[in-house]
Amino acid sequence: MSEQEPERRELAEPDTPERAEHPTGGDYAPSVAARLALFQRAGGILTPLLTAVVAFFVGGLVVLVTTGKNPLRTYEAIFNGSGLNWLFPWVRGEERFLAGLNLQQTLLLTTALILTGLAVAFAFRCGLFNIGGQGQYLAGAIVAVWVGGALSGLPRVAHVVLAIVIGALAGAVLAGIAGLLKATVGAHEVITTIMLNWIVVWIGTYAFGLGGPLQNETLAVPISEDVAETAKLPVFWGDPLLQGLHVGLFVALAALVAFWIVLNRTTLGYEVRAVGFNPEAARYGGINVPRNYFLAMAISGLFAGLAGALDILGWQFRLSVSDVQVSALGFIGIAVALLGRNTAIGVGLSALLFGALLNGTSTRNLDPEVFPPELASNLTLIIQGLVVLFVGADVLVLYLWQLRRRLRGRSAVPPRAEAAT
Amino acid sequence: MLATLLALCALLVACGGEDEAAETAREGGGGEAVRVALVTDIGGLDDKSFNFLANQGLKRAREELGVEGRVLISRSPQDYVPNLSSAAQQGYDLVIAVGFLMSESVATVAPRFPDVDFAIVDFPQSGLKGKPKNVRGLLFKEQEAGYLAGYLAGLSVEDGATVSSVGGQKIPPVDHYIAGYQAGAKAANPSVKTLNGYSQDFVDQAKCKEVALTQISRGSKVVFQVAGGCGLGALDAAKQRDVWGIGVDADQSNLGEHILTSALKKVDVAVFEAIESVQGGTFQGGADSVFDVKSGGVGLGKISATVPQDVADEVEDVERQIADGEIANIPDAVK
Repeated sequence: MSEQEPERRELAEPDTPERAEHPTGGDYAPSVAARLALFQRAGGILTPLLTAVVAFFVGGLVVLVTTGKNPLRTYEAIFNGSGLNWLFPWVRGEERFLAGLNLQQTLLLTTALILTGLAVAFAFRCGLFNIGGQGQYLAGAIVAVWVGGALSGLPRVAHVVLAIVIGALAGAVLAGIAGLLKATVGAHEVITTIMLNWIVVWIGTYAFGLGGPLQNETLAVPISEDVAETAKLPVFWGDPLLQGLHVGLFVALAALVAFWIVLNRTTLGYEVRAVGFNPEAARYGGINVPRNYFLAMAISGLFAGLAGALDILGWQFRLSVSDVQVSALGFIGIAVALLGRNTAIGVGLSALLFGALLNGTSTRNLDPEVFPPELASNLTLIIQGLVVLFVGADVLVLYLWQLRRRLRGRSAVPPRAEAAT
Repeated sequence: MLATLLALCALLVACGGEDEAAETAREGGGGEAVRVALVTDIGGLDDKSFNFLANQGLKRAREELGVEGRVLISRSPQDYVPNLSSAAQQGYDLVIAVGFLMSESVATVAPRFPDVDFAIVDFPQSGLKGKPKNVRGLLFKEQEAGYLAGYLAGLSVEDGATVSSVGGQKIPPVDHYIAGYQAGAKAANPSVKTLNGYSQDFVDQAKCKEVALTQISRGSKVVFQVAGGCGLGALDAAKQRDVWGIGVDADQSNLGEHILTSALKKVDVAVFEAIESVQGGTFQGGADSVFDVKSGGVGLGKISATVPQDVADEVEDVERQIADGEIANIPDAVK
């Protein structure tokens, strides 16, 4: 017992100077990056996969306990509801047609989730936690409604491109504000992005509310005018009138590639990652840390704004006050990025998983005999929550695992130190 | 750990067998029953308001008319079109959309399925793009229910007192209620002052509570909530500060003794009647059904037992006058 006491002191000591080296504002970022480094060293593809499997397993137990229904059949129904059974060649006829419809909806969600996921992931790689994906998404959507509705004389290609670009820039500007505040006065990005979220929500509420500047003129309801036909994205799979899959999916896939290239093959990406791992070391190495904070946030916002613009021009075509207030795709992006370990391929896959989950648990896809509709939407939330929880929990497990190693490593040191004195 | 997992898996598979047996047993029924799909808006079934009531109407139709019914909940605007079209594709005879948020989606989907009947709650058919012939609007004269509630509120407070209302959003159905409420209160007692505020939310109770507390601190003696689930917070504020609360849409007298009455909008009746007309072959698209005091589609809920009988009688008399058309031109827009 008495032998352990000096060990404990030894343990505490190295921590205190470390803390002192990171003065106010800076101490959050290294811990985020350290976490990330830990993820990538210790998990690879295995941990996120295990996380998802365990989350589904516990979700299945919840189904069993709360409803007494068979979780395997529930999951089968969710899988078919997501339309992923379309990929099986043996699914034919009417079933294949329905699967196609479902897959289109899943991929519409995936499109938005890839981009909101990248918005969180990119900032994460710079050691920043962008919780403003929701606001940036809405900023892109609101601006797309405006540009898509206002400039109706343009040729189609020009109109679509213009609306997308300005929408994405709106997201970038919004996130850029948070980045600028972080870079100049050290205002924490978690706080500023959350506050900016609300500013956008209320701008939208004002703009589309009765008497607002973007509220439609023909009806007395708080909904915007539809975007012009020339601003709508072409649908390449399914019925354009019944919300088929638009070409925005390819934009999202291209964004995944761009994310990977920028991070791994450019000076900017190198600097961003360096700042993410350790801002002090990066600064020592001659990297302009504030500049990278600003750029990383702006690029994050670009992704989220793009998501909002694509949703408006691809299938939604209009926004209502309620849409602005209940929309949550930006927040789901956080879970997507966490599960995807902030990598391009991870974000792509986890966006597909969350998209499939959201669409597969919609009540139209869950037969009431398999799962009661009143509970269906809660089931998604449960599984989603479990995924996030286990993502957090595996960090805990990894942390404990590392702590144990550190403890072992240290306990080996003191005897030698004692021998020296 | 692994062993537990395997054991649980085995358990799950075992349950699977039972479920299949149950299903084959169930498939024995069926027949020529009318099939009805109800598509909620993003408020969901627990909104204690029109989605909830619409589902009540569907449940009643299932029990009394023997129709086959299914509820499709929309969790985001992305669900509207797929919910409506998948119901139509699956051969449902009547697809009911709840709420004005779905108006554009109904206008898009309905023309693609001319053989399916559609109904939309709270939106006029003539307001839909292209005015599809297979859609019927189910509208309510909320201002009449609001007028009755306001009248009772006016009679329940002293001269010069203030009564208030908390709206969810400034949308037509909400403003109908509030305009009627204010007119009714003034009609009962011209010295009554009115306050009105919007929470900009139909879900979050805290927001309505905040608006209501502000109104109460400004002297409001009666708080009328017109904000669905959010409004329950307003009624909670009334209870806390010991003033009257008035419920909306459904009868909310079960919330406690502070509930003066509730302004009812019987979406359940409207849905039930729409289903009944489809079953009887009398459903007509291309027009609206308007539910008012006369038809029993709107009205007052249970009046608090502490209200004197003569006051209750007077309100009942006003209700008769509205039904007879003696009281007409109740305003439906908030000034």
